Amino acid sequence: MFKKYLCKPMVTGLMAIGATGAVAAQAQTIKLVMSPPAVETNRYWNTPGDFALGPSMQGLVGHDAVSGSYDNSGLADSWTHSEDFKEWTFKLKPEAQFHFGWGPVTAADVVHSLALHTGPDTTLNGISQLEGAVAEAIDDHTVTFTLPAPQVDFLFVHGGRGSLVVYSKAQFDAEGLEGYDAMPAGTANLQYVERNVGQGLNFEKVVDHWSGEDANIDRLELIFVSEAATTLAKLLAKEVDIVILPRELQGEALDAGFEAIPSTNASNQTTMLFNGSFLLPGYEGLDETLPWLDIRIREAINRSIDRVTMIDVLYDGRAEILPVFGMDPRHEGYVPELAERFEAEYGYDMDKVKALMDDADYPDSFSNPVIPILSSTLAGNPEFPAMAELMQVFLDEAGFQTEIVEMDWANLGALRTAREAKFFHPMRNLPVKPSAVGIRNYYSAAGAPRNNYEDEVIEGLMTKYMASIDPAEREELAGGIFTRVFEQYAVAPLASISAEVIVNPETVGGWVFPGTTSVGISHFGSIVPAE
Amino acid sequence: MLRFVLTRLSQMLVSLLVITFIVFSLSHLTGSPIDSLLPDDATPQQIASLTEHLGLDRPYYVQYLTFLQNAAVGDFGDSTKWKGSTAAEVVLERLPATLQLGGLAVLISVVAAIPMGVMSAVRRGSIFDRMAGVVALLGQSLPAFWLGIVLMWIFAVILGWFPTSGYGGLTYMILPAVGMAWFQIAALTRLTRSAMLEVLDTEYVKLARIKGVNERQVIWKHAFRNAAIVPITYFGVLAGSLLTGSVVMETVFAWPGTGLLAIDAIRGRDFPVVQSVVLFFAVFYLLANFLVDVLYAIIDPRIRYG
Repeated sequence: MFKKYLCKPMVTGLMAIGATGAVAAQAQTIKLVMSPPAVETNRYWNTPGDFALGPSMQGLVGHDAVSGSYDNSGLADSWTHSEDFKEWTFKLKPEAQFHFGWGPVTAADVVHSLALHTGPDTTLNGISQLEGAVAEAIDDHTVTFTLPAPQVDFLFVHGGRGSLVVYSKAQFDAEGLEGYDAMPAGTANLQYVERNVGQGLNFEKVVDHWSGEDANIDRLELIFVSEAATTLAKLLAKEVDIVILPRELQGEALDAGFEAIPSTNASNQTTMLFNGSFLLPGYEGLDETLPWLDIRIREAINRSIDRVTMIDVLYDGRAEILPVFGMDPRHEGYVPELAERFEAEYGYDMDKVKALMDDADYPDSFSNPVIPILSSTLAGNPEFPAMAELMQVFLDEAGFQTEIVEMDWANLGALRTAREAKFFHPMRNLPVKPSAVGIRNYYSAAGAPRNNYEDEVIEGLMTKYMASIDPAEREELAGGIFTRVFEQYAVAPLASISAEVIVNPETVGGWVFPGTTSVGISHFGSIVPAE
Repeated sequence: MLRFVLTRLSQMLVSLLVITFIVFSLSHLTGSPIDSLLPDDATPQQIASLTEHLGLDRPYYVQYLTFLQNAAVGDFGDSTKWKGSTAAEVVLERLPATLQLGGLAVLISVVAAIPMGVMSAVRRGSIFDRMAGVVALLGQSLPAFWLGIVLMWIFAVILGWFPTSGYGGLTYMILPAVGMAWFQIAALTRLTRSAMLEVLDTEYVKLARIKGVNERQVIWKHAFRNAAIVPITYFGVLAGSLLTGSVVMETVFAWPGTGLLAIDAIRGRDFPVVQSVVLFFAVFYLLANFLVDVLYAIIDPRIRYG
């Protein structure tokens, strides 16, 4: 025991003493700094989905790097679905091969992967989409998923932010989970080399990749760094080539000559939620003292927010105002008129705010007029505390009584689960999800217990929406829900943001990624080294 | 002596028991791991299953007693963040990195602080003494995280003498080790100085000088050997700082030791790892202080009868 854990590493460490310091990035080696993932493991189903193995693993469905739309750059060549969207059939690419000689990708691998991903130890985000799904291998390269309920958005589960990546059954049969822990065989054009626990992951190029598209780089090193200041220092010292930096530090890097590369599409939406707006008739758990149960207060709060200033302060001006949280042009139910109406109905207008507050007789008619603004940190959202403070500034200026409540995100989660959270607090939708997922998570009783807003009209529309398999009808129903959300001021939508990386232009020539994964970045093989 | 050792050991065990309770309680006060381990859309069945799997559905005192029973044999359970490893394995894997860094920090502290403290006392009131005072003041007043970032900025980003961060050879260790040693240098310098001043004023030192003993021998052989008892007692604290000081510096410098592990585990709500790291820190601290007590008792027999 002692030998294993103390002696060997110490000897190794001592041997390393005297080694040279910073080593400049090689032309074909790209070093990318990111925050440590929530869970460090090669078992994807044991993570919430923030997947550092993304460079080597693939799902059935890919994404176009520019548009972000689903394409067949994943392991499936094509797919079909039954009329009722309860049965989806994927044709696998016969040429697809696992790394390290583990053979071709077959339907058996997909069935095996589904079993792993839906097992009792799964902690994947979005796993509810796979609940009750049964996969059957029709032949070596055809697999059918039978679902307990229609799922129009079933491709989402197989795409970049998906909950199902494909592992080799042959490797599992030969080596068990330990094989995955040691050297997981993926299928992408970069393959796993090693994991240095607590430090990062390394990948290397697969020469003559089965897809015909070799990675542009020879080696990719993902380096985990917790502190943003350290990340910035690594970039400024040119020890690394690409970093993911909080927006407030990006300016310094850009001033020093580094460049920002945004995802080609919005990757993230931010909002402030009014917790506990459970307005379904007869709900006994409703806390009637919450000031924002009055729609005039919700509108006044929305109109107190100077979103242009907020975007300048929090995102250095590089974000768009978001009309409805959860609504996106790429997904069902996008209502362009809502974006057009936004300025008139949500725009910063102090006179209107005062009028609304007077009309609602705020604060005199409220037994509990204080707006508790929750300040918390959530991995990947360094701006949340600043966002909370900014909200307090806006609301105080409007005349609201406010207080900042600092709370750990996990404790907030527990309160939300118990339907006891009573805050005005920051939230994100990352990556931008299909409309059905967003609506369920935030506006419908189907997302209970953690949703925030429920009302009778939305429930009626939602019931029809979930049952509908007619695209036109679904479009109309989702649009109806978003319109209702908009008109009820159900939340305070803030911004739509691209994922951004900061690169050293001396070593990175370009990178196109669509912002469809949980960390926003993907398509690692297409990183182009500088000339 | 045996009675003294046994008394100290029993006190140590009581302290350890109290610490286990505090560690167990505090880690549970920070929120349920269920909320960080499961996704937002987790089903009630998933929540119930994981709650049962982690034993969180049992009464609090049962959870504590189970924890105590398992901890006694070094079993803190499986890590929830570093899947496939037990909490103890995760801590042991990171320990060598911390010992490397801490060892260098102690070396820097001793090499810098002892001569500086001795010379400050010998040259009391001189410019050197005043400068050492300034160093001590800065050492005790500068926040470690700020110091770490400033060191990184000056010596890695601007001057390029060292790598900014990461794990590697000596060049990677210098800046975090200096950062860790900084506070200890200040404290140890002041302690050494005051102990030396006291000893230099004693009759036997004056006698040695009157007898014409070489000044170097007076200082290092006669005075310092007797003054050393005070810095030696500080070694307990210094040894503890090997680990506790590593939390900040390892995080700033991305050094993959137990300090960074503690932060990552707290952020990831990895209760088993948090508990085992903190308990490991506590045991290390208690043992270091126990050894210092024993050493102190050996050097100064009055202690064991006190």
